[in-house]
Amino acid sequence: LRRCLISIDMHRIEESFRGIKKAIQAKDTMQNVTILSPSESLHSIKPLDACCMTKNLLAFYVDRVFKDHQELDPQLLRKISSIANSFLYMQKTLQQCHEQRLCHCRQEATNATRIIHDNYDQLEVRSAAIKSLGELDIFLAWIDKNHQGTSDA
Amino acid sequence: DGVAVLPAPQNISVQSTNMKHVLTWSPVMVPEEIVYYSVEYQGEYESLYMSHIWIPSNWCSPTTGLECDITDDITATVPYNLRVRATLGSQTSAWSTLKHPFNRNSTTLIPPGMEVTKDGFHLVIKLEDLGPQFEFFVAYWRREPGAKEHVKVVRPGGIPMHLETMEPGATYCVKARTFVKAIGRYSAFSQAECVKVQGESLPL
Repeated sequence: LRRCLISIDMHRIEESFRGIKKAIQAKDTMQNVTILSPSESLHSIKPLDACCMTKNLLAFYVDRVFKDHQELDPQLLRKISSIANSFLYMQKTLQQCHEQRLCHCRQEATNATRIIHDNYDQLEVRSAAIKSLGELDIFLAWIDKNHQGTSDA
Repeated sequence: DGVAVLPAPQNISVQSTNMKHVLTWSPVMVPEEIVYYSVEYQGEYESLYMSHIWIPSNWCSPTTGLECDITDDITATVPYNLRVRATLGSQTSAWSTLKHPFNRNSTTLIPPGMEVTKDGFHLVIKLEDLGPQFEFFVAYWRREPGAKEHVKVVRPGGIPMHLETMEPGATYCVKARTFVKAIGRYSAFSQAECVKVQGESLPL
């Protein structure tokens, strides 16, 4: 991920998430279930697979989670929109990186991604979307960890 | 929902300078009445995946003004659709939509304002505070043949910053430009400003 220089304003995304976290996590009625379980998938990813995993998870959120979540509160909608459009921009940036063949996808990343999709499919779609939104901090922290050293490049 | 009898606002455009984005429009004229306007936006995500979703602007839903600061609404470097409508009592106009989506990477970046001062033998610069998205590249040199140019990155602006300890009798010059990481662009350099240090220049 270090070579895929993404000039992303992570602070802005994290700030937007802090604005929705309490309200979204309060709607999550299944606290004992997780979708982005850190122990199983994300934290076992090696740096070599970080770019591909980021790409896969951005697609997970853009193509599934944000679509499956219907938000009526204008203030929450603003912040979710901010995150969704930032993820869309990140996707485009990583896409350029992928075209320069700097974003290989190995089996490990593919397996980890499938676990997350499988976890998502186990739940009713609205509940799955709410839980995934509430777990965004896991993904953002993981990006931060893998993103260190490029933000000041 | 009010019947659309009011004319829709016209001449919608965006002026964007140094990452401050303002949407403007022409007034809807109704003699002796106060007309209100509402602004809504949708990012590329909404237009691609949820085109029915429009989000009320943070500051201007509604407003009586003819402009709206949409800086807090435009939070990603993707195209945004923007629209405005007029309201008078129960009467509501149709929406007028900005002809071309706005992307903040088109903002006009102008060279930063700066104050170059001497504090004794210390060369000090204070840069304009343009907000957290801005970094400053400051170039400074001693004005003499073959002088080497030094560069420092300053973030944020608004705070005096020591650049160099100067030698008596010498003249030092400074120029600066901005960099916005979120859009990956620089401004032009400012005009160079020079200061001369008191005293005799040291023998070589």
